[in-house]
Amino acid sequence: MNVVLAVAVVGTGSLLLRALPLLLSRRLPDRLSLLASWVGASMLAGFTVRALARFHDPAVPASAALAAVAATLSFGLAYAGRPVVVSVGAGIAAYLVLASAAALLV
Amino acid sequence: MTGPPTAPTRRPASSARTDFAVGVGAMSAVTVAYLPFGLLVGAAVASSADPVAAWAATWVIYGGAAHLAVLEVLAQGSGWAAAAAVGLLVNVRLAAYSTAMAPRWRDASARAKLLAAVMLTDAPWALANARPVATRGYYLGAASTLFVAWPVIVTLGAASGGLVSALAALALVPVLTLGAVVVPQLRQRPVAWGVAAAAISAAATARLDAGASLLLCAAAGLGAALYAERRS
Repeated sequence: MNVVLAVAVVGTGSLLLRALPLLLSRRLPDRLSLLASWVGASMLAGFTVRALARFHDPAVPASAALAAVAATLSFGLAYAGRPVVVSVGAGIAAYLVLASAAALLV
Repeated sequence: MTGPPTAPTRRPASSARTDFAVGVGAMSAVTVAYLPFGLLVGAAVASSADPVAAWAATWVIYGGAAHLAVLEVLAQGSGWAAAAAVGLLVNVRLAAYSTAMAPRWRDASARAKLLAAVMLTDAPWALANARPVATRGYYLGAASTLFVAWPVIVTLGAASGGLVSALAALALVPVLTLGAVVVPQLRQRPVAWGVAAAAISAAATARLDAGASLLLCAAAGLGAALYAERRS
């Protein structure tokens, strides 16, 4: 019952969060939309950094730090205009190389 | 938005179909990157006390991070109210995405707006937001692709158990994907300042629960973006 209640409340609330601003879009000032786009980008960045900070690979020492280095490379490529698939692939490859090297050194 | 948002002009049906197809193509690549995350969510669904309700959340909540947060809180025995509070806090960002989209959807029908809202989540918003000219067709193409693929991936994850959780490196894929979609927006000074402040805030609050941490990121990011706007 706990799962059903939690899912129902979060689902209903999430639908309202998604739908209300769009359904009321004629009344929302452009300035508010611009500020919301900054908030959205900030929360996505927060999401990304939080996931990297909490990343844990039990087989690799200092895995969060290695993941951060790989992510820096990946995001640098994305900023330079490389496709998402290329930048993500390079990041994963970099992490695997760094993780292998770290596992050999320890 | 890559600049002050503007209302769309009416486009011919053929352009709208092309935009839709381009959106589908863009999201297809991102969906592949979402595979590991979806499988992880599926594994959490399979180990839930009520797997059917947890699986239904794939559509009802429709957001991997909030879905996972709710299941984790419930698994810790904290009760439905605490789980719901955490899930809603994680999903507060959806209101920001929806508000940011508003100018481009002003003249759409209520039905189209509702359809766009139901399928709204991080990746379609970020993809559309990163395009200089993001049409409604592009957004709908991207969003509907993930809306169809996500439940399939989660179901596969639920069926395969903890297969993916054994490969920790795969957990990085969705993180890098979301980051790669956001990074091109850093060419706008306020966004760059906002993202930098949010990143620092996220690193400093990584031990807090996800909802509180993300709200602090939003506040820090908005403050920094406003400061950068006034300076420029």
